[in-house]
Amino acid sequence: MAVILTDQEIARLIEEAKPLPSDYQVKIQTRPKRGHKERELDLNGASGSDFRLVLRQSLFNPLDFSAILIYRPPNSNQLFRLRRYNGKSHEHTNSIEGKVFYDFHIHQATQRYQEIGAREDTFAEPTERFAEFQQALNCLFKDCNFQTPFDPQRKLFEEF
Amino acid sequence: MTVETIEQDFRDKVCQKLRLASEGVSRYRVFTPFMFEDGDHLSIVLRKENGGWVLSDEGHTYMHLTYDLDEKDLLRGTRQKIIGNALSLFSVQDREGELFIPIPDDQYGDALYSFIQALLKITDISYLSRERVRSTFMEDFRGFMEESVPKDRREFDWCDPKHDPQGKYPIDCRINGMARPLYVQALPSDERTRDAMITLLQHERWGLSFRSLAIFEDQEQINRKVLARFTDICEKQFSSLDANRERIKKYIEDFLIK
Repeated sequence: MAVILTDQEIARLIEEAKPLPSDYQVKIQTRPKRGHKERELDLNGASGSDFRLVLRQSLFNPLDFSAILIYRPPNSNQLFRLRRYNGKSHEHTNSIEGKVFYDFHIHQATQRYQEIGAREDTFAEPTERFAEFQQALNCLFKDCNFQTPFDPQRKLFEEF
Repeated sequence: MTVETIEQDFRDKVCQKLRLASEGVSRYRVFTPFMFEDGDHLSIVLRKENGGWVLSDEGHTYMHLTYDLDEKDLLRGTRQKIIGNALSLFSVQDREGELFIPIPDDQYGDALYSFIQALLKITDISYLSRERVRSTFMEDFRGFMEESVPKDRREFDWCDPKHDPQGKYPIDCRINGMARPLYVQALPSDERTRDAMITLLQHERWGLSFRSLAIFEDQEQINRKVLARFTDICEKQFSSLDANRERIKKYIEDFLIK
């Protein structure tokens, strides 16, 4: 039986600190598969929750990508998608709100979509915060409290 | 409303939701109302290729499925069959993960219908995957027993060879090497609890001498009547595995040294 998470539980999981390993940049280098590049990284949150970072990008269209934060509930093989940062390669419909758009967008898990039997991250909102894959990943890191290992060299040039 | 008006409304609605948007030279995004289970619409591009037109998903359909599935799972078993049937039924081709359909003789509408139907059949695989969400309790139980009991002292899915050659009354894990073996049952559901009770009663009836231990996935979820009857038969129970690992380990260790 799939777990249903409340909005409060979802918010708590998003806020839980997610320390990245020192070699995370190597571990998230995507590798080519059939039709797309992909990589995954399993992480433990500071409060002990199990998370997975899932990265996908089309080999045919660089604007077709996904950076996903997944929560893995204990004692289950379920993959619960907390957040998904999508490129601009398809329209999206929020069936409850009756809204359709074609843009870069961010999916978020919500209680209300789970309650109608829809996929947990069916709700999405268009965004102007990113327009390519690396920017989307940076937004995911920032929004979901990922913590990068201290690197004084890197700090000089970029912030996430 | 007349049938003619309804028919016109159907046409209007369907037509409104199908449209093209230019995305560069000889390339158009095709918007349709058809979606994956998460509200994302199918990704379809109309573009010129080798002098003709094709509809392509540019690898999006498989990529979307791999959010939850290992890419290798698409190439084997039931999923591979569903995909293979959908492609051949609607004459869609798979070129290294890109699904596409050439458009012959200006038959744009026919090609679009075929392409959409093929993609929708393939996206149904995501429902197959959701139904497979399951507990890992039985695997966790097995791992726990492997950690806690030496290999030569345990046997999983043990059946009494004399009385039960057909294996109808299995014990999840039999710990041996003492005067009376310890039968350990892993119980994730009412049904399994009932089966375990019948199994223990049957072993008693055969005159076998044993001790019994039950580990529930979550005892609070078990039907009260089922649990009450099972309690009469089983010697020792733990309400869950995760919250009692140390206690269960200690309990088993005490048996192993007897």
